[in-house]
Amino acid sequence: MKTLIIGEVINKNLSSGTLEILGKAKSMELDVQLITVGSEDSPAIGLNEVKQTYLKRASSSFNFSKIASKISEIIKNEDIKLILGSSTYMCRDLISFISVDLNSSPVSNVVDFNLEDGKISTINSINGGESLYKAKINSDHSLLLIRPKAFDPVEIEVNSDYETIEVENTDLDVFDIYIEEKTGPQLEDSKVVISAGRGMVEKENLEMIETLANKLNAAIGGTRAIVDAGWMPYSQQVGQTGKTVKPDIYIACGISGATQHQVGMKDSKFVIAINKDEEAPIFQLADLGIVGDTLSVIPKLNENI
Amino acid sequence: MKIAVCAKQIPDPANEVTYSDGIINRPEEQVLDDTDRYGIEVALQLKEKFDAEVTIISMGPSGTQKGLQQALQMGADKAIYVDDDSLKGSNSLMTANVLSELAKSLTADIVIFGTESTDGYSGTVPQQVSRFLDVECISYVKAIETGDNITLTRQTGEGSEKVNMPDKCVISVTAGGVEPRYPNFKDIMAAKSKSIEQIPLGELNIVTNQNLEFLNVESVESSKSGEKIIDEGEAYQEIVNKLKELKII
Ligand SMILES: Cc1cc2nc3c(=O)[nH]c(=O)nc-3n(C[C@H](O)[C@H](O)[C@H](O)COP(=O)(O)OP(=O)(O)OC[C@H]3O[C@@H](n4cnc5c(N)ncnc54)[C@H](O)[C@@H]3O)c2cc1C
Ligand SMILES: Nc1ncnc2c1ncn2[C@@H]1O[C@H](COP(=O)(O)O)[C@@H](O)[C@H]1O
Repeated sequence: MKTLIIGEVINKNLSSGTLEILGKAKSMELDVQLITVGSEDSPAIGLNEVKQTYLKRASSSFNFSKIASKISEIIKNEDIKLILGSSTYMCRDLISFISVDLNSSPVSNVVDFNLEDGKISTINSINGGESLYKAKINSDHSLLLIRPKAFDPVEIEVNSDYETIEVENTDLDVFDIYIEEKTGPQLEDSKVVISAGRGMVEKENLEMIETLANKLNAAIGGTRAIVDAGWMPYSQQVGQTGKTVKPDIYIACGISGATQHQVGMKDSKFVIAINKDEEAPIFQLADLGIVGDTLSVIPKLNENI
Repeated sequence: MKIAVCAKQIPDPANEVTYSDGIINRPEEQVLDDTDRYGIEVALQLKEKFDAEVTIISMGPSGTQKGLQQALQMGADKAIYVDDDSLKGSNSLMTANVLSELAKSLTADIVIFGTESTDGYSGTVPQQVSRFLDVECISYVKAIETGDNITLTRQTGEGSEKVNMPDKCVISVTAGGVEPRYPNFKDIMAAKSKSIEQIPLGELNIVTNQNLEFLNVESVESSKSGEKIIDEGEAYQEIVNKLKELKII
């Protein structure tokens, strides 16, 4: 099946979500081409054996309506049937726009898909991850937004062998474009993730989380409650409206475990939860639950590691 | 300025979800999706500043109007909605088609959304509506400032950016961006006399079709039977042991 993967460039490399989709496409032996979208010059994104186009946005603004039109045009010209993108802010916008151009409803939050008798069937998560929904796509085009961590990434060899097309991207008056600096281990890639919730009581107490993270070479995440409170930047939010992580160990410190948080972490291999409320829902997901005060347990951990 | 806010009535998330034939069972009484309170709040802030008219638009079963009432109690002026058996279990594109037609019927300048609904959470409807209406979509808005210009701060994949709001556009608002207001007694009483109008589907220009065929739905069993230890001062040791066992330290 002629397939287009809409890829994303982060720090001049293909994003982990893109590599995961490439992994799945390879295992299904789909006839793949890749369009990556980014604002940087000459990223390292070319792939051997995969036809590739780089759509370079004229500014780094986050507005994709014109890029979507360009992609729709390519889909029609090349008679592409299956369009895949990761459930990121960018791809959600792009695939939504393209779905109107192609008059074919997309499927969001896809955790698996298959090809049977020339048709795509999907499994997607609904209700904040509480249910899995299986459907068959009966239109000419199938558009899928894939949840991060649904598939294993491919190992790739990158080159600079691709065509670049510059696309104007917005008529809007955009200013104060701010790009968050990324330091330390990244949430998506770390084997250990330590997340903080309101049960850390005060922002200052996050220092003990940082100490622990340094000792375990872990990335730090948080709940929306503390991101909204300004304790942490949004890029560290784990959950439905934040990142999805799947580390070997997830340590939840003072997190109640709302379903919207769970969606982002419940596939972690081993979950440790510290919460003073024995009834907190996070304990239903925990392999090891400590009913106790974060402010007393974490400092002792730090002293003993 | 005419503002439309898309708001969805959903089964109370506090109750367990059940399905028949792939469609969420809709109890008689449904509530306003909390996610949409953020969009309504943004609309009301614009209304206070610019004397705008705020209309709630919705698609969904008419057995209930509680959710629409809740939206009116917050301060919206009126509500219109479409309900038709053929729309049960609609895909996101069909939903967007219906909502766009409603927005057109109001000649709305600004159409405001939540970023994703609590039940469906496809997170695509706002962008699709903008495409149907042929206006720009300013998605994932997390703050609004109303000075000489209206400035929207949006969350982006990499950080954030600010946009001057054009005269006509679609906006989606992330939960947490603004603090939705709570109606007081007076607001609740005032809402009772506001109009809620049902629009027949036949009056709308529907150009999309239902391309997704339901096969199966199942709930995810996510509870584990892990160990639970009450801390009496030494529980940290259990974590240390575990980290050693898993070869992290
Ligand atoms: C549309 C939508 C999207 C959302 N998306 C997300 C998302 O992506 N990610 C996300 O995280 N949330 C999300 N939420 C919010 C979510 O519903 C919860 O409100 C949030 O996860 C709660 O964060 P919390 O656990 O830090 O705070 P709380 O729910 O307040 O929990 C704090 C916990 O800390 C415990 N505690 C307090 N003090 C101590 C102490 N000293 N020691 C130990 N334990 C203590 C308490 O017992 C409690 O269980 C979303 C909500 C909506 C409506
Ligand atoms: N049936 C509906 N009626 C009104 N608004 C809706 C409906 N479905 C979705 N929306 C709007 O679209 C946003 C995103 O929903 P979704 O794409 O379903 O995640 C919601 O926050 C609502 O603002």
